[in-house]
Amino acid sequence: MLEILKFEIKYRLKRPETYIYFAILFLMSFSAITTDVIQVGGGAGQVKENAPTTISFFQIILSVIPGLILASSIMGQPILRDFNNNTASMMFTAPITKTQYLGGRFLGSLLVNVLIFTGIFFGMALGYLMPWIDQENLLPYNLGHMVKPFLVYVLPNIFIMSCLFFASGTLSRKILVVYIQGIFLFIFYAITSELMESWDNQNLGALLDPFGINTNGHVTRYWTVAEQNSQTVGLTGLVLWNRLLWVGIALVALLFTFWKFNFNLISGKGKKVKKAEVTRGSSDVIAAAVEIPKVTQYSGFGTSLEQITNLAGFYFKWLTNQYTFLALVIGGILFTAAGFFFGLGGMYDVDVYPSTYRVLGLLSDFNIFFFIITVLYSGELIWKERDVKINLIYDAMPYTNYVSLIGKFLALILVFVVMLFALGLVGITAQTMMGFTNYELPVYFKSLFIDDLSNWVLFAFLGFFMHTMVNHKFIGHSMMVVFFVGTLVLSQLGWEHNMLNFASGSLGRYSDMNGFGHYFQPFNWFSSYWLGFALVLFTMVLFFTVRGAETALKTRFKLGRLRWNKGMAILALMSLFLFGGAGAYIYYNTNILNEYQNSDDTNADQAEYEKSLKKYEGEPLLKIVGTYVEVDVFPENRDFVAKGNYILKNKSDQPIDKLYLQLRSEKEIQSKVEFNVPVEVEEQWDKFKFTIYNLVSPIAPGDSIKMDFVTNYSTVGFVESGSNTEVLHNGTFFNNTYFPTFGYQSRLELGGDDDRKDNDLPEKERMRPRDDPQAITENLLGGTSDRIDFEIIMSTSPEQIAIAPGYLQREWEEDGRRYFHYKMDVPILNFYSMVSAEYEIISDKWSDGNQDVNLEIYYHKGHDYNVDNMLKSMKKSLDYFTTNFSPYQYRQLRIMEFPRYRSFAQSFSNTVPFSEDIGFMLDVGKEDVDIPFYVTAHEIAHQWWAHQVTEADVQGNAMSSETMSQYSALMVMKQEFKPEIIQKFLELELDRYLRGRATESKKEQPLDHVEGQGYIHYRKGSLIMYALQDYISEDSVNVALRRIIDKWAYKEDRYITSDVYLEEFRKVTPDSLQYIVSDLFEKITLFENRTKEATYEERDGKYIVNIDASSIKYQADSLGNETKIPVNDWIDIGIYTQDEDGEDKLIYLQKHKINQEEMTFQVVVNEKPTKAGIDPINILIDRNPDDNRKRVVLAEADSD
Amino acid sequence: MILDINNLSKTYANGVQALKNVNLSIPQGMFGLLGPNGAGKSTLMRTIATLQEPDEGTIRLGDIDVLTQKDRVREILGYLPQEFGVYPRIGAETLLNHLAVLKGITDNRERKEVVHALLHKTNLYDHRKKNLGGYSGGMKQRFGIAQALLANPQLIIVDEPTAGLDPAERNRFLNLLSDLGENTVVILSTHIVEDVKELCTNMAVINEGEVLLSGTPTDALKNIKGKIWRRQVTKDELTQYESTLNVISKKRSAGKPFIHVMSDSKPDSGFTAVTPDLEDVYFSELFGKKEKVA
Repeated sequence: MLEILKFEIKYRLKRPETYIYFAILFLMSFSAITTDVIQVGGGAGQVKENAPTTISFFQIILSVIPGLILASSIMGQPILRDFNNNTASMMFTAPITKTQYLGGRFLGSLLVNVLIFTGIFFGMALGYLMPWIDQENLLPYNLGHMVKPFLVYVLPNIFIMSCLFFASGTLSRKILVVYIQGIFLFIFYAITSELMESWDNQNLGALLDPFGINTNGHVTRYWTVAEQNSQTVGLTGLVLWNRLLWVGIALVALLFTFWKFNFNLISGKGKKVKKAEVTRGSSDVIAAAVEIPKVTQYSGFGTSLEQITNLAGFYFKWLTNQYTFLALVIGGILFTAAGFFFGLGGMYDVDVYPSTYRVLGLLSDFNIFFFIITVLYSGELIWKERDVKINLIYDAMPYTNYVSLIGKFLALILVFVVMLFALGLVGITAQTMMGFTNYELPVYFKSLFIDDLSNWVLFAFLGFFMHTMVNHKFIGHSMMVVFFVGTLVLSQLGWEHNMLNFASGSLGRYSDMNGFGHYFQPFNWFSSYWLGFALVLFTMVLFFTVRGAETALKTRFKLGRLRWNKGMAILALMSLFLFGGAGAYIYYNTNILNEYQNSDDTNADQAEYEKSLKKYEGEPLLKIVGTYVEVDVFPENRDFVAKGNYILKNKSDQPIDKLYLQLRSEKEIQSKVEFNVPVEVEEQWDKFKFTIYNLVSPIAPGDSIKMDFVTNYSTVGFVESGSNTEVLHNGTFFNNTYFPTFGYQSRLELGGDDDRKDNDLPEKERMRPRDDPQAITENLLGGTSDRIDFEIIMSTSPEQIAIAPGYLQREWEEDGRRYFHYKMDVPILNFYSMVSAEYEIISDKWSDGNQDVNLEIYYHKGHDYNVDNMLKSMKKSLDYFTTNFSPYQYRQLRIMEFPRYRSFAQSFSNTVPFSEDIGFMLDVGKEDVDIPFYVTAHEIAHQWWAHQVTEADVQGNAMSSETMSQYSALMVMKQEFKPEIIQKFLELELDRYLRGRATESKKEQPLDHVEGQGYIHYRKGSLIMYALQDYISEDSVNVALRRIIDKWAYKEDRYITSDVYLEEFRKVTPDSLQYIVSDLFEKITLFENRTKEATYEERDGKYIVNIDASSIKYQADSLGNETKIPVNDWIDIGIYTQDEDGEDKLIYLQKHKINQEEMTFQVVVNEKPTKAGIDPINILIDRNPDDNRKRVVLAEADSD
Repeated sequence: MILDINNLSKTYANGVQALKNVNLSIPQGMFGLLGPNGAGKSTLMRTIATLQEPDEGTIRLGDIDVLTQKDRVREILGYLPQEFGVYPRIGAETLLNHLAVLKGITDNRERKEVVHALLHKTNLYDHRKKNLGGYSGGMKQRFGIAQALLANPQLIIVDEPTAGLDPAERNRFLNLLSDLGENTVVILSTHIVEDVKELCTNMAVINEGEVLLSGTPTDALKNIKGKIWRRQVTKDELTQYESTLNVISKKRSAGKPFIHVMSDSKPDSGFTAVTPDLEDVYFSELFGKKEKVA
């Protein structure tokens, strides 16, 4: 065996691919670390480039991609080689045993594999030493950080892959089977990734992942920046089980191979072959007498067509008879179909209705198979005759060149069509099984047979081209991969234009409201452009195709010139014309009619804006106090014209002599202004549409002027990408940021630290400090305005309804257009939405005796699943908020649906645009968190928290608007739903908070200093406020909030900051609990609560429960460095029993003072306890919330 | 129609010169191209079959320039390569039918007739539905000739068709070939002298890319008539004779070693004159020239 092992290693060391593979891994690893060109992923922001988590993630990924491919090519070979080279008979007759033979070959290849994979390690170990890496982004060099993940993940992965590939290669003796197995292994990984997305199955997904990618992700998901920078994953817990499981599976496969492998050369079915010859000789005489009839040989175009049809059919049959091919297709379809069991991607574990676009979204999981099939089988088709060695016979046949190529191409396309049909059927079946029968066949058709098919046809052309030109199957496949990487690299280097991005035509996102919208036009042009390109490639394929024994490119060129004829010339010219013509038209649209900029240039412009204009930040501004505007929306052209005026008032105590006008700088938005007082232009920045005017006579305090403006938004042609999704054919929703405004706009500044560094700008704080004297006089909408009087007339096409904040004064039709006049009777924030769409309306009324409110929901026809629920939420919210906070300031409340290009809901004064993506189409089950209800309640709460109490534009601002809205919604939900639903909601919020802090890019702030960090102001906000009301009672919290409203509602000279909340909360908190306000809001506090043991004994019909618990309290800094601090807290101890339905029921829940890490509690209850624990309902932030509760067991009899 | 090959040369990228200034004129009828393995036969055959490009020279078939008018050649060509494979999971009839379409036999009825006729002719009719993967070497070779005979070719090229066939199969195969019409140019390459002897009206011997001889077998035999001598030898004698005489072949007859020597006169008394056969022609062309050099 040692001999064979030595032989194998020696053989491998002589083969160039051993070194090439090593080099590939080494270079990928090295360049991923030392350049930006390849980005594997890993930490962001404060996580260092060589943080242990980054390193391990990196190593695992490289061990799978490209490791999976390399390992399959190495491990599939060793036995196969003997068959392919026909050395098998020599080997098998030599005096060696099966075990020696297989063992030697396996171990030899395994060792070589390990050697190759050390490329990952060495590339990394060397890469981090390179002097040009920014030392600021590095931790001190630590070899251990690189060795450990190699041992924990990479080595087992090599072993697992090696065993499996060796098994399939040895037993099937077909390399394609090995590859397909690799693909299926990857599919299995993808399925475990899907498991990870569903809350309940995460542990399972982490356990089953063959490569440990999800396992690693799962165990490190809550690691803070500091932990990511310092900790490594060891072989414990889930990781250990995962590795053991797969190494075990691999061993079983290996043993099976040893057991099953047979030295017999001709395996099973071959035996029949010999019998074929029995009928020899019987009919020789007849044969000699046979006359071969004369036949007519046809040629010309008609014949070619017949031949193409015949060939297409022939190759189609061949493709669909390949069991490897069938395995791929069926496997892919099963994989895709399996996706339906994991849901269609809703929110908070709530499913969405399987509308056609959702189903199509899921069906696109099949794309990876499409890609593999295209790459693999375009090569197989090109190589088909040469593979079976019938090529010389074919090539000497009198068909014209294009016949065979087009035949093959059509066969592949036919296969695509069949697969797309199958996918469509899967989709329709899934919809039917889910009880959804609104099949939108046109949407299926357009998405599958126009968008997808055109994409794969282009890739098939590319595949044919690559394989013809490089004329080497493996290199051809590799070139396809290189091609993609190349495109990615180019886009990294600034070549982002879709004209450089192969097959970039796409129908975009489908919306029930807007259909495929305006995406067809650019799609058609980009598709034509790339089709032209692909046909140019195909002309080259025709020219260079290998026919005969000559393969040198030079000879092929010579032969190509012989073949060159009028037809090919016409094809070449036409495809060049299509390519050039469509290209020119696209360029005209994207770069001349519209503006095109790559992201580097956009960044540079932003930087320049800041550099030249930042000095004007904070200059005194006249404030907009009144707005009147007439907005004509033209949905059919995606245009609007707004004409209006602002009343600008000097609200300061000094005269103001300058105006800083900021218009939108985009080409499609043109604005003009005119003042009713004389002004002179002092300075103008055309590029930024920023103008400083001198007021000829300064405006005295309290005086005002009027500015008329016209803003014209016009859609011309189409843009390169990122087309406007606010002004649409149906479902227009935009706001007043299109209109003129005043002052330097800090929101236009470049945000990311790296981008700022690239443009020589200093790092920037995300928000101004909480005590910034200027900032606290400005609300979150900027310093341009406090509140305004508002009046608007909107017009739109007759079938649409136009909606803006305000009460409808009049509605009329004129000149074939529909007009709506809205007016507010109280001042509103300078923030208003303009919406226009075809709507169904449901309306209702809410009243509490003092106040009547008209409720309306404007929704897309057919999207009525949740409107009643949303109406209910509106009423319940108004009930709770008016009872506990203050009266509602308006007489109406409207929700209007807008297309799913954007997924949020946003609260304007008495008007709430709500995306079709987030509430309307959710299928809320009995045990689900009712998301439409929750989002509605949250948005309505903003009518208080934002529109009544308005926050200053400083750190901690979102605690006022978002956190209080979360709290308000949560309290409405608490009244409406059972505690389990609330607990589920909080669990999900906890998970999202903990994950959020793991991906923090700058610094984690405590809640009262939050800087636009959603995971804090929404997710942690819910948890904190729920805990607060749990500790000090809901009533006390509401008392504090009422006081805040009393003092701060509609205030204009100073806007509220988070310290006000803390002050009011402290006032309603008993002395013994004062510490929690600080712990919750001002610090980052975490607990590690755990129940070690819970026992009970029964005495006189009562149950004495003993709970052995531990509690560790941590304080974290902004990077997540945790410091243990002494625990001295009131924490819940709870005991559950089981009710008749087998559901857990709390029978005891009481806060106990915990002042030691380890404590025991004794509680007497009347019912039989089932579970017990510390902080059982997860009020506190705890990274392992699952170990808080434990089953209660009967105490051992002999215990003292 | 005559196939004229003029000054044909070909050197491969690895430096092997496969054809050296080959000149041949091949008339209608069966033409045998005789040469050892690696002589350049296949290169020549592939070049005539439009599948390979020479570096120099021309090939004309009647009024067709074979090197540039490939389509016209292919229309009248039947080609059986030296080595070829088949789709293992397809039946003979299906594949033959498919190839017939590529030949341009697009009339369904005609195609069916010719496919059936050829299957009968090649004795494959009973196996026509069976997967080609299950065919024996001989059956596969017969399938090869069946496809080469599709559409009444006027130029038939069969490259080493008998290699690896057992005697019965070989006979059967040669019978098939001999049936081919007289108005056809048939080129048969082989390294087996018997093949040529039995079938060919014209022949050429080729070695290391060069044509050593071309003409009719009769003329070739005439040339060496009275020059071939035979004697039984021992091992020691063999080496001695090899160094002094022009030994063209060694063979055993009933277990005893004999040598054939080419010489204008009887080398010594142990030799007896033999009536030369084609094999002696072949070996004398391959090995008999040494004398002149030495």
